[in-house]
Amino acid sequence: MSKSASLWQSDEMSARIRKRYAAEKRFKAMGMGAILVSLAFLIFLLGTMIYEGIGGIDLDFLVNSDATEPDKAGIWGSLKGSLFTMLVTLILSFPLGVLSAIYLEEFAPRNRWTTIIEVSINNLAAVPSIIFGLLGLAVFIQVMHLPRSSALVGGMTLALMTLPVIVIAGRNAIQAVPPSIRDAALAVGASPVQTVFHHVLPLALPGILTGTIIGMSRALGETAPLLLIGMRAFIATPPGGVTDSATVLPMQVFLWSGEIDPGFVQNTSAAIIILLIFLVLMNGLAIYLRNRFETRW
Amino acid sequence: MAPLIVLLCALGLGLVGWFAARAKAQAMFTGRGSLHSLPGYHGWNMAIWVFLPAFLGWALWQVISPGLVETAVLSNPAAASLPEFGFQRDAIIAEARNMALNPDAPTFNPKAANLVPAFTAAITKYNWIGMFISLILAFVGGAWGYTRVRADYPARTRVERSMMMLLLLASMIAILTTVGIVGSLIFETGVFFTYVSPIDFLFGTQWAPDPFGSATAPNLGEDYGAIPLFWGTIFIGAIIAMIVAIPLGLMSAIYLTQYADARLRKWIKPVLEILAGIPTVVYGYFAALTVAPMVRDFAGSIGMANPSTESALAAGMVMGIMIIPFVSSMADDSIAAVPSAMRDGSLAMGATKSETIKRVLIPAALPGIVAGVMLAISRAIGETMIVYMAAGAAANLSANPLESMTTVTYQIAKLLGGDGEFDHPATLAAFALGLVLFIVTLLLNIIALRVVKRFREAYE
Repeated sequence: MSKSASLWQSDEMSARIRKRYAAEKRFKAMGMGAILVSLAFLIFLLGTMIYEGIGGIDLDFLVNSDATEPDKAGIWGSLKGSLFTMLVTLILSFPLGVLSAIYLEEFAPRNRWTTIIEVSINNLAAVPSIIFGLLGLAVFIQVMHLPRSSALVGGMTLALMTLPVIVIAGRNAIQAVPPSIRDAALAVGASPVQTVFHHVLPLALPGILTGTIIGMSRALGETAPLLLIGMRAFIATPPGGVTDSATVLPMQVFLWSGEIDPGFVQNTSAAIIILLIFLVLMNGLAIYLRNRFETRW
Repeated sequence: MAPLIVLLCALGLGLVGWFAARAKAQAMFTGRGSLHSLPGYHGWNMAIWVFLPAFLGWALWQVISPGLVETAVLSNPAAASLPEFGFQRDAIIAEARNMALNPDAPTFNPKAANLVPAFTAAITKYNWIGMFISLILAFVGGAWGYTRVRADYPARTRVERSMMMLLLLASMIAILTTVGIVGSLIFETGVFFTYVSPIDFLFGTQWAPDPFGSATAPNLGEDYGAIPLFWGTIFIGAIIAMIVAIPLGLMSAIYLTQYADARLRKWIKPVLEILAGIPTVVYGYFAALTVAPMVRDFAGSIGMANPSTESALAAGMVMGIMIIPFVSSMADDSIAAVPSAMRDGSLAMGATKSETIKRVLIPAALPGIVAGVMLAISRAIGETMIVYMAAGAAANLSANPLESMTTVTYQIAKLLGGDGEFDHPATLAAFALGLVLFIVTLLLNIIALRVVKRFREAYE
């Protein structure tokens, strides 16, 4: 008894334990440090943008379009371009995404076709965005002769990119609706289509909308594919429709960042602030929808 | 504007049909079981009968009318001055068509300008004919549909069958997109390889495409060696970015899952996720504005002669930060998938928490973490804006992170950013690079998903 106690309390043993506890503390501090570094970077990034850009946001900046002089340039043109582009994206990707999600989750027979569809959707979700730009250029512009650098082509390209996001979110939301709902509807004589459209879909809608908003916010921040389809032109007049030459908000950031005049640094940062405000609002809406309407079964 | 008008007209007529058929069905309703389907389904059946023929007719007309327009224009006296055959003739016709459709299109050829009025007139005329045909089809379809509104007509079954077709068509879009991507990449790459041999492209070490140079120079292949691009992509996306992202992402995942209490975790995790939600153009601008000058000053201070503002290090570091939430959430998932019995066993034997993490949890979760890193790499090498704005255009084959370097994505964006000709190898090279990028990211994803699946099964 006394012998073992002395073994535990020997100098050698307590030195070892101290060492192990020190290692434990170091490890924990490293984890803390990793989080702090990431947070510090985030704060540094946002802080820099706000510091550089907040002075540039005024009414003129919001209502003017691009100009060659930094203090006359504004973001209205690109904001309107973004709006048109997002509208096209939403109109195309939301119905298509929801319908494919319903098909795959509720009606698709387990066969090779279904597997091919599922594999392509999952792969599309991982394809780099610039590849979608190549597709848009080769198919929409070269083959279909749609107007270059228009919101229509931009929106169609981004819709293809957003589609897998919506399908995957939609499938998860539909899957989360318990089978008892379907069984109950079928038991009182609803047809399978009625069951899905009258009962399953309304219950899955908040989840689908959350996924859609997240997909749209990604599309709103996307630049690379639009670079390839020519939405990088200098647009001094806001587009009047989806077939006019247009540019989008992130593209305006990119275009201004390449200007040599130092006055554009303020404009670039100010445009980034506006872009981030939109993204925060969209993601906030998604979180609100999820918390407000999502049912836990 | 014409397609929109036709679409709205067809939809409007469909709506009218919906109301008419529903009203007729409602009038037939005399009590329970008197109708096979509810009046609403008769309405939908009718709407489909109005809309679908009109829409299909219009779509078909879009396919055949360009040929008719061209015939009409060519029979016009203004077309007599055109060259007899060949490429130039087609170019003038295409340009005139473009100008007729798009009033602000630039004019290059006066002969094309002569043809514009004829084109405008013919296009307008055939658009009107097309609209008229769709209108007739809408009415014929509607009349047929209206006679179907009978008590015993199975309208619901028909509507549901159309619904299923619609669902199937919608889910085909994904396949169509994949086929479109693969098809267009392979086709354009095939054309590219008629100019430059695949061996030169994949193994050459000099990258200097000239978009304005001759497309038929005999030693063209020497300027299209993509090895420097592949190296730059790997160096920035898979090495520098991962050196930043793996330790930070892994350690923050470990801290959040193993040490932080639930309340802290609930706050920190979404905040870290913001890093993944910031648009890449913002990262690119930030890298160019603040990180790149810092790196340049650092390079100057350690004695590098004329350091460039653009460097692989700046781009790679910022990209690494962007990837942190990605690595962290993958690591989080795989650590959570390790059975808690393993962790409890280690703790019960007297190991400290960090010893348990290092010796038990991480080795057990390693396949999942590796798969996560592979996904992160595939994300990083496909990233465009950060490298476009911070890494530079020089195709250097060097291991010095302070030098300017270029990547596959940068070159794609640069080669296609201008108004390049589609039959020039410099433009086509972008598609070949795109194909390589597509194949590599696809392979990384497939392997990673395999690994994750096997890893999950091992613990189930």
